[in-house]
Amino acid sequence: MPIVFACAASHAPGITAWTEAAPREQAEKVLGAYRRLAALIEAAKPDALVAITVEHWANFFLDHMPAFCIGRAPHYEGPIEEWLRIPKTRVRGDVDLASTLIDACLEGGFDPSFSDELLLDHATMLPLHFLNRAMRLPLVPVILNTLTRPMPTPKRCLALGRLLGEVLESSRKRVALVATGGLSHWPGEAKHGKINVAFDRRFLETLTAGDRNRLADYSHEAIDREAGSGGHEIRTWIALAGAVPDRRAEVLAYEPVVPWATGCGIVAFSL
Amino acid sequence: MSLYQLQKLIYQVNRDRAARERYREDPAAFARDYELTDEERRAVLDLDIRALYTLGVHPLLLRPFTLLHRVSNDDYAKALAGLD
Repeated sequence: MPIVFACAASHAPGITAWTEAAPREQAEKVLGAYRRLAALIEAAKPDALVAITVEHWANFFLDHMPAFCIGRAPHYEGPIEEWLRIPKTRVRGDVDLASTLIDACLEGGFDPSFSDELLLDHATMLPLHFLNRAMRLPLVPVILNTLTRPMPTPKRCLALGRLLGEVLESSRKRVALVATGGLSHWPGEAKHGKINVAFDRRFLETLTAGDRNRLADYSHEAIDREAGSGGHEIRTWIALAGAVPDRRAEVLAYEPVVPWATGCGIVAFSL
Repeated sequence: MSLYQLQKLIYQVNRDRAARERYREDPAAFARDYELTDEERRAVLDLDIRALYTLGVHPLLLRPFTLLHRVSNDDYAKALAGLD
């Protein structure tokens, strides 16, 4: 069975950790969009959830930083952050689906690392908190390094997404695909709180316009300059867009939420 | 220059519950396991946010580390005021 659901969403920790710091109307738009995604995912009746995600020093350090890592664990623990206001929990993993993806990558010209033990931080746990109620769906995390350079290029992330999409579309399982991260933000930096609305809107327009090849044109330097260190996470969105090449992107919400220090975007890819 | 070691210390405290407990029990003893310069040791033990940032600690190591110490968004921003 194919990919039965696809979405991309920001994971600003403030969404849960300091929800009330945001203007009420903005918070409600973001949370409302997450609730809409949750209803859509429920209706799509998936068997498993593949998260194209990132991490914030939860597992990998500078002793060993994979460009791509696919989790193959029977379960995952998270979040690592005590302050996130998301209860620490255990999420089941889908070992078979993970193995299928790893094999397909190796056959298809990618050489990801794989891991049978991963901790999850807010990048994965925050979307799962909203979208995987009771943590019913088993997870396969596909982690991209968007944390520290050198990072995989957007072009390469798009190509990885295309490969993952082909494999998942021919899978026996009904798969929900979730990308997490972005849009523009400068987390923890002196510029913390800055948001580049023009960049975010152009990126969303490029997604909704449908020509996936244009996503390959983003350069590391342009993202770094215009969307900040956190903006590199749009690589997860680019990979997901590659995985669902023919689906129309619909922006459910875009809110530049200054107290959450993030241009918060939530996009569903319709079937 | 032992930025690698300084960041590793913070990484362990942020991610590993057992390490975090050892750090909280006795930060100075915990820090002795890492090869730090005097300046780095002082900055981390004093939680001198501006110094840690200027030394080059990755912002996504530093901000979660300060959140563990209950540093508010405002106080964090104040510590970095005027920096690039």
